[in-house]
Amino acid sequence: MSRYLLLIILNAPLVIAGLIGALVEYKTRRISIFKWLGTTVIWLVIFGGIIGVQPALTFLHEHHKIRAHEMSLFDVLEITGIIYILFMANRSRIKTDRLEQRVQDLHQELSIRLSEKQDQ
Amino acid sequence: MMKQQKLRVALILPAYNEAAVVGDVIKNLHKVFASSAYDASIILVDDGSVDGTARVAEQAGANVIRHILNTGSGGATATGLAYAREQGFTLAATLDADGQHDPHDVLKGLDEQLSTSADLLIGSRLMGDSTEHMSLVRRFLNRSASLVTFVLFGVNVTDSQSGLRIFSKNALENLRWRTTGYEFCSEMLWRARQANLVVTEYPIKTIYTDHSISKPNGQSSWNAFNIVKTLIRQRIVELFSE
Repeated sequence: MSRYLLLIILNAPLVIAGLIGALVEYKTRRISIFKWLGTTVIWLVIFGGIIGVQPALTFLHEHHKIRAHEMSLFDVLEITGIIYILFMANRSRIKTDRLEQRVQDLHQELSIRLSEKQDQ
Repeated sequence: MMKQQKLRVALILPAYNEAAVVGDVIKNLHKVFASSAYDASIILVDDGSVDGTARVAEQAGANVIRHILNTGSGGATATGLAYAREQGFTLAATLDADGQHDPHDVLKGLDEQLSTSADLLIGSRLMGDSTEHMSLVRRFLNRSASLVTFVLFGVNVTDSQSGLRIFSKNALENLRWRTTGYEFCSEMLWRARQANLVVTEYPIKTIYTDHSISKPNGQSSWNAFNIVKTLIRQRIVELFSE
């Protein structure tokens, strides 16, 4: 199996998960249409970058800008690692954000309820 | 003749360690609003004070909500507005608990809100000739904060950091923000724009007392950098959320 194909096989699920995740967030009205479009564009750009790696490498090799004519296994793992970290960081940020908001709401409601109870 | 029913107004004071002055602030508000056309309730949100602010406020006649944890000015204001919403107030006003605002300016703002039907009315310390009591540094920082608010969020106001704000019923129902510190002042304007609320300003007096200037936890000049940092972060995180 070529390393280019391996790169696509490893990364396509992450990109698809990112795209579906953004769509679900939008459809469940957790994010606005602009945020959904922005996130979708970012994931498509990443996917475009992955697809374009081999043609870019070939172009640079033919023009004597680089010596390597194909990716090493390390390159494949490195790119996959970066995209995986991006995917996880985005997920973690969304979860932390949501948790923070819930804690704030809980604190607010609890403060009001306890003060009302104290007044009675 | 049927007696006209007064409008129910919530006067919200977010407070943190303001025991020294909050009693007088509440008494002044009671005095001014007793003869007004509004049925005003003073709600003090004690943001985890350790100097007996809540006790002093209660003795002065305010309804007190005690925060279990210290969250910051934005969190305390949000709690006060959530309470006003739950209690079905028609209008709400927020003002600083350290005596920075003249109660007559609150009254003026409420009248202005009724005549203009604005959803969010900001008492601006930088409109008209009321800036003479403000130091040059504060004036510069306040104008800079308004510029940052415009650049990041596209909301053009003269005093984005003012604590005196009037909220319509519509704003009470629809306005939410996420930050809990002083940066909520700018974020609130952004959220108001996102919720299609009408935001306007009116001039108020600038009152800097010895107490408000000497506060260690107040909106100090250096804190401005933290505010800007948090706002930039918030804008980047929500880059596409317009």
